[in-house]
Amino acid sequence: MSLLELKNISKIYGELKALDNVSLHVDQGEWVAIMGPSGSGKSTMMNIIGCMDKPTKGEVLLDGVDIAKESSKKLTDIRRDKIGLIFQQFHMVNYLTAVENVMVAQYYHSMPDEAEALEALGRVGLRERARHLPSQLSGGEQQRVCVARALINHPELILADEPTGNLDEANENIVLDLFRQLHREGTTLIVVTHDPEVAEAAQRTIVLEHGRVAREIVNENFQA
Amino acid sequence: MFLRMITASLLRRRSRMLVALLSIGIGATILSGLVTIYYDVPRQMGAQFRNYGANMILLPSGGEKLTTGEAQEALGAIPADQLVGATPYRYVTAQMTRSQLSFMAAGTDFTQVQATSPYFMVEGAYPSGSREVLLGEEVAQTIGAKLGSVVEISYKPDAASADAATPITPGAALAGSAEGFNTNLVYVTLTLDDEMKIASLTVNADTQTPEYGGRAAEETYTRQFIGKSLPVRLGEDVDALSGATITSDAVVQAVNSARPTANAAAASGNTLSLRVVGILDTGGKEESYIFLSMSDMAALTGAEDELDVMELSVSASGAELEGYVSEIAEKHSGITPRLVKRVTRSEGAVLSKLQALVFLVTAVVLLLTMICVSTTMMAVVTERRKEIGLRKALGASDSSIRAEFLGEGLMLGGLGGALGAALGFVFAQVVSVHVFESSITFQPLLLPVTILVSMIVAAVSCLLPIKHAVAIDPALVLKGE
Ligand SMILES: Nc1ncnc2c1ncn2[C@@H]1O[C@H](COP(=O)(O)OP(=O)(O)O)[C@@H](O)[C@H]1O
Ligand SMILES: [Mg+2]
Repeated sequence: MSLLELKNISKIYGELKALDNVSLHVDQGEWVAIMGPSGSGKSTMMNIIGCMDKPTKGEVLLDGVDIAKESSKKLTDIRRDKIGLIFQQFHMVNYLTAVENVMVAQYYHSMPDEAEALEALGRVGLRERARHLPSQLSGGEQQRVCVARALINHPELILADEPTGNLDEANENIVLDLFRQLHREGTTLIVVTHDPEVAEAAQRTIVLEHGRVAREIVNENFQA
Repeated sequence: MFLRMITASLLRRRSRMLVALLSIGIGATILSGLVTIYYDVPRQMGAQFRNYGANMILLPSGGEKLTTGEAQEALGAIPADQLVGATPYRYVTAQMTRSQLSFMAAGTDFTQVQATSPYFMVEGAYPSGSREVLLGEEVAQTIGAKLGSVVEISYKPDAASADAATPITPGAALAGSAEGFNTNLVYVTLTLDDEMKIASLTVNADTQTPEYGGRAAEETYTRQFIGKSLPVRLGEDVDALSGATITSDAVVQAVNSARPTANAAAASGNTLSLRVVGILDTGGKEESYIFLSMSDMAALTGAEDELDVMELSVSASGAELEGYVSEIAEKHSGITPRLVKRVTRSEGAVLSKLQALVFLVTAVVLLLTMICVSTTMMAVVTERRKEIGLRKALGASDSSIRAEFLGEGLMLGGLGGALGAALGFVFAQVVSVHVFESSITFQPLLLPVTILVSMIVAAVSCLLPIKHAVAIDPALVLKGE
């Protein structure tokens, strides 16, 4: 069943076509990687899928709703209810502890629940560090907190923009393992990456070049 | 969670918040300090006035004359250590020879004046020798006299009858008197305009009961005479003072029987040249009088030793004071002693100026606080752009961003206000001890009021920063920077 459908979307900044007539179809529960050189429009695409930006042209159907036509207030609601975001820069609220950072996402979504937040931190292996401030955590640990925060509200779709870009090998593997778990649980994953290893973990890889879909590679060796 | 977030934001991001907290705290300190002083000063000033101002007067009984000797004798009833001052006053209507305008001239004892009217503000000095005069500020302005000027005044005994023959003409200056309460005289001077209507009126009702008939001298009462034709009818042209119909009636009679004074100087009478040594500012009717020593007054009038009233300041109150009154009344049938309230008009004048000053300073301080807090919060929003974007990316609606910043602002305002209320009390105490040499009482109501005002100020200061925070684009968090 289709979760996300991009239909001929373009994003134009003046002369520059950051996205040029891109179409993409993602099924419920699918794990898709997006690759491409810097400036090829990957982040622009993620912003549009993540309801933080609108395309200049085209339709974006998320769960059958055309988000290109919604008000920004409605987009905030959709993002909160359906999407979990993970960024290359870890982006934590720097004066809140790890567990409080997870609870912020709960707070905006529904009700903060400290026990549940601690459980999510346990899942990313940081149960012991829940009371630490971001400045007391390593980059890898911060990113794992961000993963816990992204999954706390059980989103249908997780969008990750170069989640392992700033991570060492060990933390990269932890994050990839978490993605595998989420995939097994039926969460749809769209992961932007430069790293072929991360892309190979996905079922399918879309390659963007100059704002267009250059190729699509299906991973024959995918293991759930 | 909301509270946890904003307290964490305040507690863990100390330096920035300290600046905002400090500015609100200082604003609140000044606010609560000034308001405390403002509420406390009247009490203190009142106490000081009451400590020193006149609280008893001696008047001649009906039909009698009061001499200094008799008055001094009556003072024997009051223990010397309780008698702060006893000031004799003799009032006559005198003319300035050059301008031919009439003024109320008061003969008095200047050393005693300073004891019974400590609130008199004199530019220059009180007269100390003979042929020196203290001019009310209004008089000085009218005749254009300055310190060091020499004024010539003249007096003609019984001006009213002497000038009976002179017709009243447009533009004339008139003077008159009539018996008021207890047959004590009320004096008036007035001028007419070209249409024979009253252009100005000064009433001296110092011999009347201050809280009742004494009010006839106030401008609020005399202004209703302006523009009226003679004779003035009480109850039709002008209203009576409530509770003082006798005095009101006397004022009207004095006005209607007033006679021209313009040529008084030309007729027989005494003339004195006096040097202006002081100008008196009281905020009250005394500004339209001229004051001379008793000996100069005697020289002017030719009549020795005759008083209209003697003002006493006695450091006693209640039953003790009333005891003195009845004792004097009993022993001296020619004297009517009376208690008067020590509240003075100049007290009100000083206080209203103080009030205006406090309001102005408070408004300026609150404005500065607002600017400072607003600037700090603006810097905070800029500093936290990423965080705000992140919150929005995580699904924060505009209203939750607004609520969070407003919450922080209100918390800051509350804390700063509490801090300021406490410091303000200390500040007021220090000022009070140094300036007024007395300590102040704590106003419990001031604590919630200061906190509330600080919270409002903080909230208002946050409005613009919040607008900027809400405008932040969540997409910026995905831009690798
Ligand atoms: N807000 C913007 N205004 C103008 N140009 C932009 C803006 N955002 C992105 N671009 C441009 O669009 C192109 C695609 O950017 P992006 O999607 O960030 O690429 P990447 O694949 O590296 O994530 C780039 O050339 C970038 O400079
Ligand atoms: Mg990018």
